[in-house]
Amino acid sequence: MRIVVLMKPVPDPVAASERLRPDGRLDRANAPAVVNPNDEYALEAALKLVEAHGGEVTLLTMAPAAAPETIRKALAMGAHRGVLVTDTALEGSCVHSTATVLAAALAQLEFDLVLFGVDSTDGGAGTVPAAVAAKRALPYLSAAGKIEPDPAAGTVRVRRMTPTGYDLLEAPMPALVVCTQALGEPRYPSLKGIMSARSKEVRTFSLADLGLDDGSVGGAAATTRLTGTSTPPARGAARIIKDAPAEAARQVVDYLVEKWIIQ
Amino acid sequence: MFETFSHVPAYPLALPVFWGAFALFALVVARRLKVFTAAGAVGPAGSTQVPRRIGGLVRYAFLQTRMFREVRVGVMHYVVFLGSTILLIGNINIVTGGLVQAVVGWPFAGILWTLAVAIQNLIAAAVLGLGVPYFLFRRLVGRPSRLELGRTGLQVLGMITLVVGTEFFAMAFEAAVHGDVAGALVTNLLAIPLHALDSGAAEVGFVALWWGHMAVLAVFLLFIPTNKHFHVYTSFVNVYLRKLAPRGQLPRLDIEDENATFGLRTLQDLGWKDLLDGFTCTECGRCEAACPAHATGKVLDPKRFIMGIRDMAEAAEITMDLIPNSPIVRQTYGLDGTTPATAAMTARIVDTAIPYEAVWDCVTCGACVEACPVLIEHVDKIVGLRRNLVLEDSRFPQELNSAFRNMEGVGNPWGQPPAGRTDWTKGLPFEVPTLAQLAASGRLGDLEVLYWVGCAAAFDERNRKVARAFATCLHAAGVNFAILGQEETCTGDPARRMGNDYVYQMLASANIETLDRYGMRQHTIVTACPHCFNTIGNEYGQLGGDFRIVHHSAYLRELIGNGRLQLDAGGGVATRAVTLHDSCYLARYNGVIAEPREVLGAVPGLELREMERNGRQSFCCGAGGGRMWMEETSGTRINAARTTQALATGATVVATECPFCMTMLKDGLAADASNAAGGVTALDISELLAESLAAPRGGRQLPVIH
Repeated sequence: MRIVVLMKPVPDPVAASERLRPDGRLDRANAPAVVNPNDEYALEAALKLVEAHGGEVTLLTMAPAAAPETIRKALAMGAHRGVLVTDTALEGSCVHSTATVLAAALAQLEFDLVLFGVDSTDGGAGTVPAAVAAKRALPYLSAAGKIEPDPAAGTVRVRRMTPTGYDLLEAPMPALVVCTQALGEPRYPSLKGIMSARSKEVRTFSLADLGLDDGSVGGAAATTRLTGTSTPPARGAARIIKDAPAEAARQVVDYLVEKWIIQ
Repeated sequence: MFETFSHVPAYPLALPVFWGAFALFALVVARRLKVFTAAGAVGPAGSTQVPRRIGGLVRYAFLQTRMFREVRVGVMHYVVFLGSTILLIGNINIVTGGLVQAVVGWPFAGILWTLAVAIQNLIAAAVLGLGVPYFLFRRLVGRPSRLELGRTGLQVLGMITLVVGTEFFAMAFEAAVHGDVAGALVTNLLAIPLHALDSGAAEVGFVALWWGHMAVLAVFLLFIPTNKHFHVYTSFVNVYLRKLAPRGQLPRLDIEDENATFGLRTLQDLGWKDLLDGFTCTECGRCEAACPAHATGKVLDPKRFIMGIRDMAEAAEITMDLIPNSPIVRQTYGLDGTTPATAAMTARIVDTAIPYEAVWDCVTCGACVEACPVLIEHVDKIVGLRRNLVLEDSRFPQELNSAFRNMEGVGNPWGQPPAGRTDWTKGLPFEVPTLAQLAASGRLGDLEVLYWVGCAAAFDERNRKVARAFATCLHAAGVNFAILGQEETCTGDPARRMGNDYVYQMLASANIETLDRYGMRQHTIVTACPHCFNTIGNEYGQLGGDFRIVHHSAYLRELIGNGRLQLDAGGGVATRAVTLHDSCYLARYNGVIAEPREVLGAVPGLELREMERNGRQSFCCGAGGGRMWMEETSGTRINAARTTQALATGATVVATECPFCMTMLKDGLAADASNAAGGVTALDISELLAESLAAPRGGRQLPVIH
């Protein structure tokens, strides 16, 4: 099986180092980048699939030129190679633009499955996977809790998690799957993995390589524009209710009713 | 020929009997050493630090100091040890045709030899009359839980009885038949009633016993290498070749070597000294009895682990021929019985010698290493196994995943943003500068000491109070100190103990670089964390970082001693009973035992009550070796066990000297039913000290924050 996993470098959410530049955009140069946590679930799922069915995992990333550092971290987990789309013109890309570029990059790759994480911790739009599926006319299987490909039949079955249980979806491959945490904890890279990642191939594509021109995507063609940013007001002190259990519970319920959280 | 033994019928036959057995013994040992050669080449260099090694040999092997920790057992063991050694001289005499007697008996008209016989006679009587019955009673009736009643133990005792007994009574019959033996005080006496026998019967008795002794000697010689009694030979070698590096220094690991096996996977990865450990183990179980994981019902049993390694080596050994084929046979028929079978050498240690869970049960407290009379090294091997599991297989308890990622990503196992590293200083009535601030304002030259705060004191709510108390003490003493603030990261100790030397080396290198940037090799570093203390002091040197670091107990003692820290006179202070929980990495690993006690002694109104297990014999709080970040699901909780021990002293304060111990004992005290009212609390030694600080000059009372 040939699996492409979309991977985005994001500022380490744990380090709390996200800072905005004066123009309101994320200062990526000064924040240590990590693999977007939700993409790690997709990568873990892909690695498990190739362990079971054979095949290879390719990482696809659209990011600034420093991304290979982060790509190596994902390669250390066991992915076989990386593909980076990078171009200064891509700065300020909107969802639409990002999806166009990623769809164009996928056209250069051979695959049976494309796996996405649910969303990214920095952008958080969560709509790129659907847009890519639409642009490439791929079956779109979202909220996957389990992925069962049948390489012989050329189909894939996915459990789509719902609030009450799951739907069982089946689609022909190639298909695009959006992965959830239910697929399992991402593995910790072994030292051998880290060492072998150093020599794995990372191909770089510019917009020209993908046959796209500067004006059609990226900041120049953004369909959304950042008009301002503001810091949320500091959270007030928490209200702590200390009382006998029954009385305390009553006060909590009253509070939730007052705030229209329960009725 | 052989005039000495002219009274023994067919004496010359004794030589082939014994030396035949000896040849077989040599073959068995030679085959064993081939497994040693097939194992890793890494081992201690016996030719370095020879005086220290010989000193250890005298102390641990000849004087057997560690055996005397249990006085009665120690004395009895020593009787048997002395007996065996001295009787060995007599036996060498027998199997060399009287060579020893000829040499020793030559000067001073044979007085020396008579003396030797007398000592030998008395010791043999003591072994038979005291040693053997004592150990038999201990195994069959006393039965301490650490000793397993096995066939081998009784066989060894039986063999000792036979080998000593036959010779002893042969001498009695010898005296009866041939007249008193010079020097044989006891057996000459025993011979008196034997005179009643007719001389033919006495002669039969003598011959039967003498040859019986010869036969038993030959059998005993071949029996020794098959079981734990082999320690009579190996313990000397093992003690001589003991680890001389600081106890808290794990072996170096080259993470850049692409062809290496990282850590310990199979027998081939063990050093030959590790196998020697296996063959030195006497299965006494002192390690097991000292182990906090074992005491709380976990799978780990340090004794079984060492025995397991020996069993694996023996399994490899028996795949080889005892008598090697000649090179011609090897070449002609392709038969090669001279190297151990690959399958035996490549079996995984984890799940063969030690269960997977047990590898992670270990708190690396080193109680087993401290308890072992023959200086077997358990902890380094367990961490070696963890290294292999983590670095090659990524196989470890799931909780560690986030601990590793946090250390790697943000430089602390809690996953807190580095920006919060100085939060504990907020609200203190004095400034705690960072090195960066001092350097920027050109005040680095005034620095007296760098306070290495550590992650626990920087991020954990309870331990932040300890940092505030210690800083308050430093400030009150007028010490010009600073911290690294955001530039500090975890020393890497938890990662290293959990087997992740990659993350350890990453963090350690970064810290060394930071410390060097401020020229800290020229300064003293002080820390309240024994783990930071051990790692910076004992392990950074392996990566080229040589720093002088002291624990806050030692630093505070010095401040009290030289009068810089003024304490309240303590008039009218009610006496409080306090017990001190020794940290493993401070007391056992680094011998810092008196310092915290002296600090407590300086605090007015404290009465120190020791727990049974204190100092080097301390019982771990349960958080060492990375266990701080693992769930404790197997058996009962180690911190609960230690809390019970602390409460048994009747103390109202449990003094700690380590942030992990603080967390574990605080939680233990909160969960203990007998402390439901919360009357007993855990306090760091610096907190107890800060409470008693005298009002500083000018009369302003220093606030002590709890």
